[in-house]
Amino acid sequence: MASDRIFGLVMAVVALAYIASAFQIQVSFLSDPVGPKTFPIIIGIVAALSSMFLVFRPDPEPEWPAAKTFGALAVAVTVLVLYAYSLRPLGFLLPTAIAAAVLSYQIAPRPRYAAIAGICLSGGLFLIFKYALGLGLVPFPAGLSG
Amino acid sequence: MKARIFKLFLVSALLGLGVSIKAHAAECIAPANPGGGWDFTCRQIGKIMYDIGAVDKPVQVTNMAGAGGGLAYNHVVAERNDDADLIVAASSATSTRLAQNAYAGMTADRVRFVGAIGADPGVIVVAKNSPFNSLGDLIGAIKAKPGSVTFAGGSATGGFDHMKPLMLLQRAGFTDIRKVKYISLDGGADAITQTIGGFTQAMTGDMSEVVGFLKAGEIRVLAVLTEKRIPGFESIPTAKEQGFDVVAVNWRGLYVPKGVSDDTFNIWAGRLQKVADSAEWKAAMAANGLAPFTKVGGDFQSYIDEVVAEVRKLSKELGVIQ
Amino acid sequence: MDILTNLSLGFSIALSPYTLMLAVVGCFLGTIIGALPGLGPSNGVAILIPLTFTLGLDATSALVLMTAVYYGAMYGGRISSILLNIPGDEPALFTTLDGYPMAKAGRAGDALVISGVASFVGALLATIGLMLLAPMLARVAYLFGPSEYFALYLLAFCTLGGMASNNQAKAAIASCIGLGIAMIGVDNTSGMPRLTGGNLHLYDGVDFLVAIVGLFAVAEVFFFIESHGKESSIGVKLEKVSVPWKEIILTRWVMLRASAVGFIAGILPGAGASLGSFLAYMTEKSIAGEKGGFGTGVAKGIAAPEAGNNAAAGGALVPMLTLGVPGSGTTAVLLALLMTLNITPGPTLFTDRPEVVWGLIASLLIANFVLLLMNVPMVKIFVRVLQVPPAILLPGVTMISFIGIYSLSGSYFDLLLMIVFGILGYVLRKLDIPTVPVILGILLGGNMEDALRRAMVISDGDGWYLFSSPIAIGLWVAAVLGFIAPMFLRGFLKKPQRVTD
Repeated sequence: MASDRIFGLVMAVVALAYIASAFQIQVSFLSDPVGPKTFPIIIGIVAALSSMFLVFRPDPEPEWPAAKTFGALAVAVTVLVLYAYSLRPLGFLLPTAIAAAVLSYQIAPRPRYAAIAGICLSGGLFLIFKYALGLGLVPFPAGLSG
Repeated sequence: MKARIFKLFLVSALLGLGVSIKAHAAECIAPANPGGGWDFTCRQIGKIMYDIGAVDKPVQVTNMAGAGGGLAYNHVVAERNDDADLIVAASSATSTRLAQNAYAGMTADRVRFVGAIGADPGVIVVAKNSPFNSLGDLIGAIKAKPGSVTFAGGSATGGFDHMKPLMLLQRAGFTDIRKVKYISLDGGADAITQTIGGFTQAMTGDMSEVVGFLKAGEIRVLAVLTEKRIPGFESIPTAKEQGFDVVAVNWRGLYVPKGVSDDTFNIWAGRLQKVADSAEWKAAMAANGLAPFTKVGGDFQSYIDEVVAEVRKLSKELGVIQ
Repeated sequence: MDILTNLSLGFSIALSPYTLMLAVVGCFLGTIIGALPGLGPSNGVAILIPLTFTLGLDATSALVLMTAVYYGAMYGGRISSILLNIPGDEPALFTTLDGYPMAKAGRAGDALVISGVASFVGALLATIGLMLLAPMLARVAYLFGPSEYFALYLLAFCTLGGMASNNQAKAAIASCIGLGIAMIGVDNTSGMPRLTGGNLHLYDGVDFLVAIVGLFAVAEVFFFIESHGKESSIGVKLEKVSVPWKEIILTRWVMLRASAVGFIAGILPGAGASLGSFLAYMTEKSIAGEKGGFGTGVAKGIAAPEAGNNAAAGGALVPMLTLGVPGSGTTAVLLALLMTLNITPGPTLFTDRPEVVWGLIASLLIANFVLLLMNVPMVKIFVRVLQVPPAILLPGVTMISFIGIYSLSGSYFDLLLMIVFGILGYVLRKLDIPTVPVILGILLGGNMEDALRRAMVISDGDGWYLFSSPIAIGLWVAAVLGFIAPMFLRGFLKKPQRVTD
């Protein structure tokens, strides 16, 4: 109940913000009869109306995980974000091994198993993508491999 | 399971299917998705360079789509400024967008233009059963009633395809160009389809886009926007000889990063010239409706400066940019 | 018989031990590429194009290899849809709806075999259609102007409500999220950027592959972290893999109808394989009615979208070959391949270069048979993916997704966007909001708006232009019926189905 209501309210606010930014869209000199604003505004209105519907007619409450799980999810998101940033400067192998190991540990908390899984995935995937599919991956930090 | 797939991969790699891209093979960035003109430029020029021995390893093509080429332009300027093994496909769209400040304010002098080795002549096309028999007919009808003709083209509003009819109309003394109707489609072939279907009255695009339809007799080309008639298509009149002095060709060429040495620049210019002189490139041009248009080296840079200045002036007149 | 002569010409070009070997290799690589999330048929073919140059292949061999990869990827997309609820590519989206529930019930093998046979039927019929009718069918594209396209897209969105969760508003919100995202980027009609916040990475809009991989693959990882691998298809006790003849025969009409729907959708440039499989699924769902149990893991629900999307892939070749208009991302890449081989598709291709056209058709037939023969025995290998412990499989899928997306643009921006989609996917699924409409919105939203605005430019803003042809009116009627029918039927439905599970 509450979840749907909160989500509905959040979406309604997002939809209103979307409509507001749609009004800010620059219109060029050579405009067409419909213009670049109309469609986004219609979408925003439909979204706002459906969201309000959700606020008044919510579904039963879903099963949310415990706070501890949310912590784990936050860690996973952080790892993935760091992974995204490190791929270019640090090369493929090291970041992939670490990220894969952390995710593996989070799904099944066995440290040694996770570490091995990370290293094997990183090496195996590198070979597959580089040599079988011919993607131009860089294995090591730029400074090392030249 | 993973292990088994992996073994299969290893086997296929050993069979010689695995291609390892060496660190120092030249790279050609096509600033668009596979399938477009830039992609064609990279793949065709790269292939011929390798085939005729101008480079000793196959040229690796990277597609870097984004912002109509702006993402690749930014990438080259910001991150690859001294990469001697990098070439990037360019065309009139590149210079048009640079002129209209569409690459986040980047200017044309942030890279070095190596050369163009072929050009796609601009054309104005109607369906075979259209009432318009000459460019004059079409322009006359628009002057009399601007809303009666809609142009279809493959570039966005304000893009090169849109500019072509507007330039013609301007030469004809029609100044209310905002009344000219233009719809942008996802490519030249799409634009022709709409014109043959009768949804739009005329199509503006490049020669290569219309050749197949012309041979099939589905369309008529009212004018080609070149100085002289195109070899192989001598029956099509130029706009110039019909009294509308407009030349608009879509050249195909390359640029390299700004920071490379003059030697590197000259090596690439030499390689490009070799491609231009090769029989393979001539065959590729003929098959794709390109007309000869070779400007390589310093010559080309001054051509680009001219074109950018002209398009900028025109875009301001047209109100596409402030 | 003209066709037989032509076909034997085609086979004489395309059939040799060497090309057969290329076809087998291509099918295998294609299947793998299709099954990997983030690498769909289009980038699969794009990645492998340089390979044809390195191997020094001639035009025919290159075509055989690439069509094999193309069809292989279309087949392969379903594998991860069924086994992991992660579509390998966008046309395989709708195979998750019934394929995954079936896999969860321990029948992953059956699901794979049924979908493999459906793919074969769809692709075969489409190739035959291409062979017999291509020059004639090409003219269909001339009948579709902006108003007709607008009505077609409208039809897709109006029928969405009927498929989605037990709360219509939730389906609407999901579509709006997708449509809203589709508006981001340079606006085609005015040439000005919209809603990008000045970010250059957003000028080309949000790539739907980023959205799919985020909403499905990354979100899936979050669910696994929450549940530690319980309640999923992984580790479910598998029945012995056998060919479920009974169900295959049961779905014969479904496959035929779905192939027809998919083929027609494929012929229309801009509609493509996703719309093909979606319309095929929705048609079959409404024919089967409530008793059909669509969404709970039924054979028909797997056969329809797979026959549909493979038929659409074949149909998309019609406008590509005859008009040079690529009907989908993948055909755009095949078009690029043809052009690098100095072959320019267009209305004269069939008469000018019969050896190319019929060689291509022959290679399609070869690839299709190779895939059928390869897929049924290979099912035994594929289902064993589910025996891999989640603690290895899921990180593996995530890393593959990251590399796949990274190879698209080489920017970390898309990766961050993918993570955001992952979080969104997790929240939406928790709230029982379907994620499929989000993808459909991103895929079709821009096209729908473009069509409307083109129509209004042509007609000077006259709304009646949207109803100016029999085709347009027919599509409008279908759209309105598709929107209203579920509301009336709702009264008769006892228990609405959940598809977000």
